[in-house]
Amino acid sequence: MRTISSSRSCMLIAAALLLASCDRQTPQADPYDQSKMDLHLVPAKLTDERHQGAFAEGNALSMGAELKPLDPAPVKTIRLDTTHKIIDIAPGVKFSAWTFGDQVPAPTIRARVGDKIKFSMSNRSDEPVPGVQLTAAPMMHSMDFHAAMVSPQDKYRSIAPGQTIEFEFTLNYPGIFMYHCGTPMILEHIASGMYGALVVEPRDGYPTKVNREYVIIQSEFYAKPDPSGRKVDTAPLYVLDGDRLRVSQPTHIVFNGTHNGMVKHPLPAKPGERVRLYVLNVGPSKTSSFHVVGTIFDRVWIEGNPDNQFRGMQTVLLGSSNSAVVEFVIPEEGSYIMVDHHFANASQGAIGLISTTAAAQEKDIEHHNIPASATPTDPDAAQGKLDFESKCLACHTVGGGDKVGPDLAGVTKRRSDDWLARWLKEPEKMLEIDADAKAMLKQFNNLPMPNQNLTDKEISRYIQYFHWIDTQPAGTAKIAETH
Amino acid sequence: MSIFTPFAALLMLALHSTAILACGHCVEDKIAAVYDHANVMQALERKHPIAFFAIDGPLADGTGRTLETLAESVTGVDKGSTRVSMESAAMAVAFNPERTTFAKVQKALERKFSGKKLTLQPLRIMDKPAQLKPASQRQD
Repeated sequence: MRTISSSRSCMLIAAALLLASCDRQTPQADPYDQSKMDLHLVPAKLTDERHQGAFAEGNALSMGAELKPLDPAPVKTIRLDTTHKIIDIAPGVKFSAWTFGDQVPAPTIRARVGDKIKFSMSNRSDEPVPGVQLTAAPMMHSMDFHAAMVSPQDKYRSIAPGQTIEFEFTLNYPGIFMYHCGTPMILEHIASGMYGALVVEPRDGYPTKVNREYVIIQSEFYAKPDPSGRKVDTAPLYVLDGDRLRVSQPTHIVFNGTHNGMVKHPLPAKPGERVRLYVLNVGPSKTSSFHVVGTIFDRVWIEGNPDNQFRGMQTVLLGSSNSAVVEFVIPEEGSYIMVDHHFANASQGAIGLISTTAAAQEKDIEHHNIPASATPTDPDAAQGKLDFESKCLACHTVGGGDKVGPDLAGVTKRRSDDWLARWLKEPEKMLEIDADAKAMLKQFNNLPMPNQNLTDKEISRYIQYFHWIDTQPAGTAKIAETH
Repeated sequence: MSIFTPFAALLMLALHSTAILACGHCVEDKIAAVYDHANVMQALERKHPIAFFAIDGPLADGTGRTLETLAESVTGVDKGSTRVSMESAAMAVAFNPERTTFAKVQKALERKFSGKKLTLQPLRIMDKPAQLKPASQRQD
């Protein structure tokens, strides 16, 4: 019987042990080891001394879409006070808003994992803000930082006008985190404008280098003309529409607080540059399918954390308070259109441009998004205009000639209000019984207008808008598809 | 024997109520629901404190107006100063300290509300702008 000699067996055993030690993976430190996180917190401080001067302060704040470079200081002192003010969310829509830092969205805070945030907030909703004297009644507000790991009962408590709250916390996770007012009814406070983004870079920074960095915050507005008929500089005041709010039917869905924001003022980038967008959907109720026409996202970090990486995405789905970093290369000259690919949302204003040229190119604007034009001051006519622009431009123009359907410039001179109302209510019935309707069908290639299931109120608004068009000087109210 | 003895139920109710009202966030939420800045400022200008209460018990739809009327029938409570939130089960009243005290207002309100099977828990008192003090610190 052959046997293996003892010395050879020792060598075999030693070799096996050596291989096993090589195979064993060196345990890596867990970057999210909670035992190493700074969770030593001090209680919030509440005083009755309010801040004076600017409503927002801090080196880590960026006020617009362009994100400032990271402030290297390990302690970020941030001050954001609450105010009530009127903002323009769309042409002719002066909305009574509630803010952090006197702007909507609130300033973006930029920091890094390990940084300490020293935050203070005065409730200055009882102070008049420059420019407009007509604002919402002062009320209690609070702050909820999604980036913080703190007791809500201590740090996120509501404070009365005149009070100031101060607290601090350490950032333990990278990401793009929402912050918002947490005072009930939270839905109303967010829908009134009280939200912003806190960008937390990884401790060692991001793994890629980029040429441009922008923050894009998507949000909804639910606006209705003030029932009391108040005006702001002769234009109607718009207030929160609670009925629409509770059934999630916004009137506007916007990027960075403005309908069709960044269309008139696109974000610059040059061919060959790598662009990083920090995208946050603050809702309060809708989901976003964020897409940039003409690009593919080379990297997507869900919630802004490089540990949650996808490559080569066309669109990123963001629920309310979700976020993502998206990076892409600008391949050539042109304007690259940021949209919410839920196109009903895009039709309500969730559109923006990243452009290699200085001015917005109108030919790049999709047909359902139009440059700002003159707006009726009558609230019903103004709503009729918005409805027309979101629903009708695929088939009609105003002053731009016939399309699938007729040019509607002069329609109130051609048709009576009664005829228009009957047509808009039941076009299919009119096509059976009305001679003018039948003639129109023949003129437009036998393509019937589909029934839009409009309410009587909606029809009334359309007709008021058509009347407004027909009282404008020629060319003032021209609205047409631009490509 | 069922674990759901009356004593256990009472204990759970007490703990639940305490938990709700002990958390500062919830206290301020109730105050925010009935905080009317114009009402508050008007009262403070007259040096009338405003007291904020949580309401416990069955709040039937449509009883807000009734509760306001009950509250303002208390001697010393300012007419038109009562604010009631049914959703948040909270109430605010302003009172004249020259005619009554907080303790008397609280006692009278509790007596009137008990007829509706409601109880009141005092939360905060404001007698200066931007100062919400725990009601338990009130001496009068």
